[in-house]
Amino acid sequence: MSANPGSPPTLYGIDLGIPLNERRVLIADDSSFNRKTLARFLTWAGITQVEFAQQSEEVLARVDEFHPDLVLLDTTPPRMDGIGVCKSLRQQPHHRDLPILMQSAVNSDQHRTICFQAGATDIISKPVNPGECIARVRYHLERMSLIQELREFRERVERDLRMARSMQLALVPEEDKILEIARPRALDIEMHFRSSDEVGGDFWTLFEIDDTKIGLFIADLSGHGITAAINAFRLHTLMSRLPSAELLDPAALLAQLNRRLNDILTIGQYATAFYGVLDTRTDCLTYASAGSPDPILGRHDGMMAVDASGVFLGAFAGETYENRHVAVPPGSFLFLYSDALTESLDQEGEMLGEKGLLAWIKDVHASGVDRPLDALLERHAARYGTHLHDDLTTVWLQRH
Amino acid sequence: MEYKIKTGQGQTEVFLSGRMTFADHEKFRHVIAAFEGPLGHQMVFDLDGLDFVDSSGLGMFIIARDTALKRNLEFKIRGARDDVKRLITVAKFHKMFDIED
Repeated sequence: MSANPGSPPTLYGIDLGIPLNERRVLIADDSSFNRKTLARFLTWAGITQVEFAQQSEEVLARVDEFHPDLVLLDTTPPRMDGIGVCKSLRQQPHHRDLPILMQSAVNSDQHRTICFQAGATDIISKPVNPGECIARVRYHLERMSLIQELREFRERVERDLRMARSMQLALVPEEDKILEIARPRALDIEMHFRSSDEVGGDFWTLFEIDDTKIGLFIADLSGHGITAAINAFRLHTLMSRLPSAELLDPAALLAQLNRRLNDILTIGQYATAFYGVLDTRTDCLTYASAGSPDPILGRHDGMMAVDASGVFLGAFAGETYENRHVAVPPGSFLFLYSDALTESLDQEGEMLGEKGLLAWIKDVHASGVDRPLDALLERHAARYGTHLHDDLTTVWLQRH
Repeated sequence: MEYKIKTGQGQTEVFLSGRMTFADHEKFRHVIAAFEGPLGHQMVFDLDGLDFVDSSGLGMFIIARDTALKRNLEFKIRGARDDVKRLITVAKFHKMFDIED
């Protein structure tokens, strides 16, 4: 009765497709005639790994020992309580996806509804016909393997994204390094970087130029996902290769990055960026910007958004940038952030926006808390959640 | 994002509305497919119905401009308001785009 190895199994002279010989099927039926008949049908589909259960009590144990890919379950009482068995299987999370094909001699719609309610994947009417039985078994096994493939693929992508996120985190300056730069200059620098689940293209860094000057660079590559993250790495590489003389001139630095990125990025990809040099001797921040969100500056004379307009990096060849100056005297703070802060949506689909952010910062500052950034982010998380669709970078620099 | 394309004498108007974001890349390809016409034909993006555009959306404007240049078409953006207007101002789009209020 079994198919010749190597040749496709046939029924009525019809090719039944690829043999399913890797698959395991459990037949749960109290009639030995039915068990034999069903097993014979399965051999036509190339399925030879078949085990049996004769009564309800056995089924769960057999499933756990044999790990079938599909169960053919009879619903005829009293020895086989198919409905009860099906319910018990479905209650176990690891059997939630197991295909369960019920065979039923009762063909009323009510009975079928009860079967589906109990968790049956499909129902075959008795008497069982070989062609239909094989077709349904094949359909559910193929469907199951597609689901498994998808699940494995998804798990692989998630692993890759987790890896990419941790690599991205490694680009951000370490806390020791930040302290080393901040302390001798009477600065307090709080920063927070949160990579999105899909990874994004945020990048920021901080470095010493000389005894009184530090450079602060923040960028966001357009788009989301792996593409944006890879472009952030490219930008990081470009930054680290720049000669230190160029770090003193923000406009020249951005023009240089624009040239390089313009060669690398494809049309429609770009970076927003802000680069500032803070001189603690002259209290002056010299900066150039490429369409970054406006940083917020808080001084004795009030709180203001610093104009950060400018043409994106990498989008247009030959673009030039201008140096702008703003006084940041002791006692002031400067807050830089990526657009996820103002553009995330709350449950009503509303964004915080720049005006909203300015109001929040005023509140936080007025409350006089020690760590204003923490307070601000707590408030943000309460309204927008912690799983944002884009990277969130925030840097709070306080001069004492 | 939703879009409506109206082709007339000498110009094709594309009316964009809603939120234009990363998720709209596929739809945007259909918009780009409409970039056709004789030399000097004008493509107009009407943004009056557009409430928001994110960084990917702005990237799509850059792609549209580039496509128009390559196909010898004129390209114009008009009617941006509120957040959208603010974003294209911050990015200094007026330096390389033909923008009309």
